Amino acid sequence: MIPTHWFLILSAILFTIGVCGVLTRKNGITIFMCIELMVNAVNLTFVAYARQFHQIHGLLFVFFVMAIAAAEAAVGLAIFISLFHHRHTIDVDEANLMRW
Amino acid sequence: MHGIDWVDVGLSGLKIAVVLGAMLNVTPIMVWVERRGSALIQDRPGPNRVGPFGLFQSFADALKFILKEDMLPAKANKVLYTIAPMFGLIPALTTIAVVPWGRPFLLPGGRLFEPIIANVNIGILLIFALASMGVYGIVMAGWASANKYSLFGGIRASAQMISYELSLTLAAVSALMVAGSLSLPDVVWRQTGSFVLFNVIKLPAWNIFSPAMWIAFVVFFVSAFAETNRLPFDFAEAEAELVAGYHTEYSSMKFALFFMSEYMAMATMSALITTLFLGGWDIPWYNEPPNALGFALSVLAFVVKVSVLLFIFVWVRWTIPRLKYDLLMKLGWKVFLPAAVINIVIVALFIAKRWI
Amino acid sequence: MISFAIFFFFAAVAVIFAAMVVLHRNPVVGALSLVASFFALAVMYVLLEAPFLAALQVIVYAGAIMVLFLFVIMLLNLQHQEEPRTRPVQQFLGYTTSAAFGLALIYYLAKYGVTKLPEGAFVSDARTIGIKMFEGYIFPFEMVSILLLAAIVGALLLSGRTGVAKNEETS
Repeated sequence: MIPTHWFLILSAILFTIGVCGVLTRKNGITIFMCIELMVNAVNLTFVAYARQFHQIHGLLFVFFVMAIAAAEAAVGLAIFISLFHHRHTIDVDEANLMRW
Repeated sequence: MHGIDWVDVGLSGLKIAVVLGAMLNVTPIMVWVERRGSALIQDRPGPNRVGPFGLFQSFADALKFILKEDMLPAKANKVLYTIAPMFGLIPALTTIAVVPWGRPFLLPGGRLFEPIIANVNIGILLIFALASMGVYGIVMAGWASANKYSLFGGIRASAQMISYELSLTLAAVSALMVAGSLSLPDVVWRQTGSFVLFNVIKLPAWNIFSPAMWIAFVVFFVSAFAETNRLPFDFAEAEAELVAGYHTEYSSMKFALFFMSEYMAMATMSALITTLFLGGWDIPWYNEPPNALGFALSVLAFVVKVSVLLFIFVWVRWTIPRLKYDLLMKLGWKVFLPAAVINIVIVALFIAKRWI
Repeated sequence: MISFAIFFFFAAVAVIFAAMVVLHRNPVVGALSLVASFFALAVMYVLLEAPFLAALQVIVYAGAIMVLFLFVIMLLNLQHQEEPRTRPVQQFLGYTTSAAFGLALIYYLAKYGVTKLPEGAFVSDARTIGIKMFEGYIFPFEMVSILLLAAIVGALLLSGRTGVAKNEETS
């Protein structure tokens, strides 16, 4: 059996890569994808702990997180599409109309 | 740590070899059936030069595919263009691993031989998971060809596939509710035996004979056509409209891979329809004994049922005209999805009242 | 023994493709690498004795959400848009902050992580999950369905044409 803290370390590595992507990239779609990566890392943590303590609640939480992430991806991409239609650029730094 | 059970490994290898051989042979046989069948329906001879009744036509076609020039369009994305046909093969070759194709029987050593490659307890979810990988093949093929018509064909075909995946899944849920399990051997075991109608007629307990499943059967059957991109839902190919849709720019072996994966997906869908609704390997009105004879007869029954369904696929292709794209999407979302959901409610009612 | 080999192989696959999402310029390559990463994560779920969730991960994430991402990228023709280079200050700060954060996380997880392995089998098939969901979690289940409806309506409204981009007919 594989020790649980190996899965947690894998999840931490994936989360870190996601954080790095969000902080470093300027392409809106890539930032979305890194957010999805972070959500998946958290899902892995939930499932690892569900297996560690034999609690099925962890798996149910992952179920709901997946549903919410799907809804968030749909709405986020719709926002990105309308932003792209108005500004004609994928650079999220250009979405700066509310800056003073 | 126990030692490796080599007999088990050997049996699994044998099962994989048999199923793989069967799947790879489906394409040549179906090509012949398609061409002679279409000729029969259209009242013309069909291929009859290459061998008796044109039986070696498939070999001639295969030779042609191998010898044709393999080209790459200049502006195409090389990596994606090359791996797109492989994504089409993934659902075709892997989803057959969870379908039971015969009756489990006892080998002489007392071991139970289960004719299913992977008897996981989430059987049918694997089929849905891997079938959703097929969409990537079409999207990548359409986009990587750097051709407007291919892109349109690819986008339309993948939108159609993901819409009909929903009604496919929900229609399958009705059959799974009755069996109470996600694994396909359980679904087939539930359909062995028989029930008596009006105290006179003894019908096999197949799912198709119970009125609760009729809507689900129709929805699943038509959605299977949409999933495999066969007429009347073949916007991916759309010969008269989009030249050849998403595989316009493909030639020789890559095109042959798309071609093969379409026929193999048809075979897998037919296998799934027989397992969920037509009783799988069950022979009607006959209790197969758990020995090699029962196994052989059950495999024969399964093959006969799958062949009948494959012929119906060919028959429908050459009989019914293609649906207009927006009507197709309306059908998928506004007719089949509500029908499948209503059928779930009906089946739940039947189960609660113990009529099924 | 073989499960350790599978774990290391697929963990490496997941990490490498995730790094490719962050580092590669082309968003299409990024999206496909993310699909590969999700597949590797599904294998991780199988190793954690949750096969139902592994199938769900492939169906929902790799099969639906990433197809949505690919549609958006391909229809808006985003691979030809040149993403401007990030300013070196932002890059440096981004990499160092995330590296420090990651190292701290891994250090504390390795130090204080639970190491006692559980005994017995973990019953996590569809039947158990279904019973648990409809017993205790029925309210979140219904709320999620309303949330998905709201998301569908929102997405339809947000991506509708406002008359500005009538010339660029892409879909």
